[in-house]
Amino acid sequence: MLARRDFLIGVIGMASVRADAFPSKPIRVYVGFSAGGGADIIARAFGDVAQRFLGQPMVVINRPGASGTIAAREVALSEPDGYTLLIAGGSETACAGHFRKLPYHPIRAFTPIMRLARLGLLINVRSDAPWADVKEFVAAARKEPGKYIYASAGYGSLAHATMLLFGEAAGIVMKHLPFSGGAGGLVALRGGHVDVTVAAESESKALSEALQIRSLAVASAERSPLRPDVPTLHEAGFDVDLENQKGLVGPAGIPRNRLQFLHDALEKAFHHPDFVRRCRRLGIERAYLGPEAFGRSLSRVYSQIGHVVRRG
Amino acid sequence: MIDVLFDAVVSICQPETLLVLLLATMASLIIGATPGLTVNMAVALAVPLTMHMPLEPSLVLLLALYCSGIFGGSVSAILINAPGTPASAATVLDGYPLAQQGKAGKALKMALAASLAGGLFSVLVLVLISRTVADFALLFGPAERAALLLFALTLVGLLSGHSILKGLIAGSLGLLLSTVGLDPMLAVPRFTFGLLELEDGLSLIPVLVGLFAISEVLLQAETRMRGAIGLDLRQTHDKMLNRLSWGEISASARTIVRSSLIGTFIGILPGIGATVASFVGYGEAKRSSRQPQLFGKGSLEGVAASEAANNAVTGATLIPLLALSIPGDSVTAILYGALLIQGVTPGPLLFQTGLGLVYEIYVALIAANLFMAGVGLAFLPLFRHVTRAPARVLFPIVFVLSVVGAWSVRNNAFDLYVMMGFGALGYVLRRVEVPLAPLLIAFILGVPFEQALRQALVSSDGSPAVFLSRPLSAALIVVTVASLAWMAWRNRKESTA
Repeated sequence: MLARRDFLIGVIGMASVRADAFPSKPIRVYVGFSAGGGADIIARAFGDVAQRFLGQPMVVINRPGASGTIAAREVALSEPDGYTLLIAGGSETACAGHFRKLPYHPIRAFTPIMRLARLGLLINVRSDAPWADVKEFVAAARKEPGKYIYASAGYGSLAHATMLLFGEAAGIVMKHLPFSGGAGGLVALRGGHVDVTVAAESESKALSEALQIRSLAVASAERSPLRPDVPTLHEAGFDVDLENQKGLVGPAGIPRNRLQFLHDALEKAFHHPDFVRRCRRLGIERAYLGPEAFGRSLSRVYSQIGHVVRRG
Repeated sequence: MIDVLFDAVVSICQPETLLVLLLATMASLIIGATPGLTVNMAVALAVPLTMHMPLEPSLVLLLALYCSGIFGGSVSAILINAPGTPASAATVLDGYPLAQQGKAGKALKMALAASLAGGLFSVLVLVLISRTVADFALLFGPAERAALLLFALTLVGLLSGHSILKGLIAGSLGLLLSTVGLDPMLAVPRFTFGLLELEDGLSLIPVLVGLFAISEVLLQAETRMRGAIGLDLRQTHDKMLNRLSWGEISASARTIVRSSLIGTFIGILPGIGATVASFVGYGEAKRSSRQPQLFGKGSLEGVAASEAANNAVTGATLIPLLALSIPGDSVTAILYGALLIQGVTPGPLLFQTGLGLVYEIYVALIAANLFMAGVGLAFLPLFRHVTRAPARVLFPIVFVLSVVGAWSVRNNAFDLYVMMGFGALGYVLRRVEVPLAPLLIAFILGVPFEQALRQALVSSDGSPAVFLSRPLSAALIVVTVASLAWMAWRNRKESTA
């Protein structure tokens, strides 16, 4: 009888040890955009490798809509147990909150875990445009305020925010045509219906290689290793430092030990040759930042955009 | 050139590649035929698979899923009045009446023939003159797009059936519903009630599935509750009724060619899509038909018009992708990503550095169209079995599939409420004989039209003269006015006659 009780206590004891072992069930990664999109491809390419180090499957869940804020809300309001994560760093954390009221705080609602990648935002013109560099464009735009037209992927998108920051730093006024997504703006640029289009590196790569469009500048602080020929806005003397980031965050309040475990496992996956190779193929710039640095970067981008939106 | 083509044929015609093509075509037909499950979804789900596959099988997998799904959509459109994909919504208008007359087999064969013709036509355009037509697409700025979409909106008149007033009611309702969401220029929330789920507007798939499939389920339930026998499609197995003769195909040949041209043209322009193409193709077929009175009551020509047009979009959307490196819609955006995974960047340079690959894409597309025809033909008897199922079994299945489809678009339960709401709306409208097609087309065109209109006005500093000073848009506006005048004249003639 006693032996049986001891046995039971032993079993229960073991079970509670196992319950402490994290992770004991699959980890869900929410993506705020459709399957097949940029954020989704990064999530899947990474999740595939990461689950080898997590010891549990990493399941990608697409919950697209409202510029990624539906998925962000879902994660922000979930239990901070480390099992629910989000691919963040784009519109849902950087911009959306400045243009309309969100049911979560774009920064304080999350625990940053690790940045995976960054995507440069390029300012493009037609290849036959008369401006050799961004300074010449600014000079022309200053002369005739309101004449030039730029396209973006939508009102309140990162592309729109880029042009707001650039416009303020350079002291120029332009007309804005928002499109639904990046492709519309590129078509309008090629067709001569707009003068400038902001597009991600991957979107504009093929067109600039074919010499149909020219990238005047990149909005990041440093030149992109994928497009080392394109100067930064900083180099031209305009104080803009903005990029689309992709990293993993969880809801605010994930326990320290779980955060540490997640970060360490994910960092191993980040350096794994399989992930490195996939990123090279996809034209994604791997860009690691740890929890603190990623958090600082997210809030810097957020407040910087908030600044110019409030003033504009 | 010839040897590049030959190499491409050889590399596509490997046994395992052909097996992938066969399986993908079968899967795509079934997914397409299921209301709510769309081509986009099939292609997106296949992308992770291609990460571990060599180039050629991944190419044929994606292209076959893309090409055949739209024909699959016509199967359920014809058999159960529920378009499997939005692009086959116009096929319902005549396909289902044909099925009710016991001619489902004939309608399906016509849909297949027209799909094949439209698909191959657009591939030919892609192969022969993609560079030229891609440049033509660039002429379409905001003003031209607005004028074109305005012309498409006049379809509301053509699709109204016998009561123009009811058509206009439906069209206005569609436009009104399209305003839900963030406005396309300044992102001001309209009718969102603070719900994030409504920021992108009401999603098309739940709206479509609700309007057509759910309303049909409700109507069938009502018929049964009244003790009537309800739908009986068993006569569909009459062999004579279901033969499609060469005469019938050649009678629709002009329609098929016209629709193929319309579909290809619309497919080249980014962001308009197969649904609009099929409605425009249908409307134009009705306008120039010798028997316009048959449209909406079971015209084979109507089925051909819609199906040739929507399949012609499939090849055409690849034109901006390959010639300009610009994905024109969400499926081609997914294809673009999938090609990147394979280490291929679609774009003008590909014609110089990767001609072999370009040819492989061409061959894969042609093969996908041929397989669609072959598998479709083989599946026809199977599809017709659907109509043999008793209504009390069939329609609950339709209901379950609709729920699955509406859910899986965004994995969001909110869309189920939208679907049920539109199911009720569709039921009421059909009971009072308000046509659904004008509602749907106005709903689809509303946002892009508003966006183009306002973009054009921003560019011109608010001057509406921009629509007349640009030649292409002026021409389109003249066509629109002429089309309205023609409709008014015909209406008068009909009412005085």
